[in-house]
Amino acid sequence: MNSETVAVNPTAPVAEDDALLLTRVHSGEESAMTSLYDRYSRLVYSVALRVLRDAAAAEDVMQEVLMQVWRSPSTFASTRGSLGGWLAVVARNRAIDLLRRRRPTDSVDDIALASNFNLADEAERSSLMEHARTAIQQLPRAQRKTLEMAFFDGLTHSEIAEMTGDPLGTVKTRIRGALTSLRKALQP
Amino acid sequence: MMPSDQNTVMFPATGAGHLDPADLSVYAMQLVSGDQAAAIAGHLSHCPDCRAELARIHGDLALVAMTVDLDTPSPASRQRLLSQLAREKRIAVPAQSASAQLVQPQVQTAEPQQAKPIAAFGRSGSVLSMEERKPKRRAGLIILTGLGWAAAAGLCLVAGSLLRDRQNLRRDLASQSGQIDRLTADAAQAHQLMDALTNPGAMRVSMRMPATEKPPQTPSGGVTYNPDKGSLVFLASNMAPLEQYKAYELWIIPADNAAAIPAGTFHPDRQGNAAVVMPDLPKGIPAKAFGVTVEPDGGSQSPTMPLVMFGN
Repeated sequence: MNSETVAVNPTAPVAEDDALLLTRVHSGEESAMTSLYDRYSRLVYSVALRVLRDAAAAEDVMQEVLMQVWRSPSTFASTRGSLGGWLAVVARNRAIDLLRRRRPTDSVDDIALASNFNLADEAERSSLMEHARTAIQQLPRAQRKTLEMAFFDGLTHSEIAEMTGDPLGTVKTRIRGALTSLRKALQP
Repeated sequence: MMPSDQNTVMFPATGAGHLDPADLSVYAMQLVSGDQAAAIAGHLSHCPDCRAELARIHGDLALVAMTVDLDTPSPASRQRLLSQLAREKRIAVPAQSASAQLVQPQVQTAEPQQAKPIAAFGRSGSVLSMEERKPKRRAGLIILTGLGWAAAAGLCLVAGSLLRDRQNLRRDLASQSGQIDRLTADAAQAHQLMDALTNPGAMRVSMRMPATEKPPQTPSGGVTYNPDKGSLVFLASNMAPLEQYKAYELWIIPADNAAAIPAGTFHPDRQGNAAVVMPDLPKGIPAKAFGVTVEPDGGSQSPTMPLVMFGN
C-alpha cells in the first residue's frame, strides 16, 4: 500500500467557493446550478464525449450528472475532494455504463476522491489540464495506450490483454504505473 | 469481465493484508466483474488504508479525465438543464411529502392494531372471569394478535406496492420530462438557426484563405451574422487538420474598430468540415469583418496572427 498522504486543502478560497456553491444548490437556488454549469459543463461534457463520441449522448450524460448534484447535493461532500474532479470521474463512469449498455454499476456515493487541486478556479483548471495533457503524452506509449483503453474506452484489463497480446498482469501493471506517474508529475 | 479473467485473477491481499493497488486501480475504473467487485468492496468496508488508496486513485483518474480536449456543449443544453431544474423543483417537494404519507401510515396504523387487542384484554373483566375465560381469551388473544400482524403486513404490502408504483411513475415522468425538454430545446435551437439564416437583417460573408500559396484544396467558409440578435452561423470546408492542443477560433472584428470578439473555437472533422453554430455573443455589435486564427485549445482572448481565413 502506498503510504503517501494526499490531503484536501481545506483553506483554499476557491474550494470554499465550490462548497458555497453546493450550499446554495442544497438550498434550492437554481442560479447556483447555472454557475455550476458554467464552471464544469465543458469538462463533464468533454469527458463524456471522449468516451461516447456522440454529442447528444454526451449531453445526456452531462445532464444526468449535473441533475444528480441538484437532486442530492449532499452526495458530494467537500471531504470528497475536488468537485470538478468528482464530476469528471462520475461522468466518465456514467458514459462507460452507457457505452456498455449496462445499468449504473455503482452509487455515486462510493466515489470519494483525494485531490488537492482547486478546479473551481478557471486559471488553475486550465493550467492543470495543460500539465495533465503534457504528463500523459510523456508516458511510455504502451502505458498511455493501455490507460486510455481502460479509462476512455472502458475495456477491461482482460479485453485489453486480448487485444494487445500482453499478459493480464502486464496490463494491470501498466495501468497502475501510468496513474502513479501522472500523480507524481502533477504533484503540486 | 472475461471468464478467463475470473479464473486467473483473484485479487489477493498483499503481504500487509491490503489489496494490491494495481487491482484497486482497475476496480476504481469499474472494470472488474461483479463477484470480484463484491470481494474488493467487502475488504474496503473494513480497511481504511485501502479506502484511502482508492480515494487517491480516484484523484489520479480525475487527472486522466483532465487530459481531454475541451468541447463545448450546445447552447440548448443549458436551457435543457434549466427546464429540468424547474420541473424537478415542482415535482420534488410534493414527491417527498407523498413519500412521507405513504410510509408513515404503515408504521402508525400497524402499532395500534397489534397493541389494541392486548391492551383491551388487560383492562376488562374480573380475575375470576379472566380465569374462567382463560383458554378462550388466550385463543382470542392469539387470533387478534395474528389479525393485527396480518393487517400490518397487509398494509406494508400495500404501502410497498404504492411506493413501487410511485417510483415507477416518477421515473417515467422524469424520463418523459427529459425527452420533452430535449425536444423543446432542439426545436428552439432549430428556430433560432432558421431565423439566423433567413433573417433579412443578417449579413452574409464568404471567407477565403489569404495565403499567397494555394494548397490543393483551399479552405473556405461562410458566416451568417445578425448583430441585432447576436446570432451567428459559420460553416467551413477544406480546413487543414491542427496540431495537438490547437483549435481554430472565429473572430468578429467590430465596425467601430474595437477589439476583436471571440466567436467560438472549433476543430474540423476528418473531411475538413467545421461549424460554429449560435455561439454566445453580445447583441448589437455591428461587424466590419470576420477572421479565423489558430489558437491554443480552449481559445484566446485576442487573435494570434496570422489569419488563416478572412472575410468582409
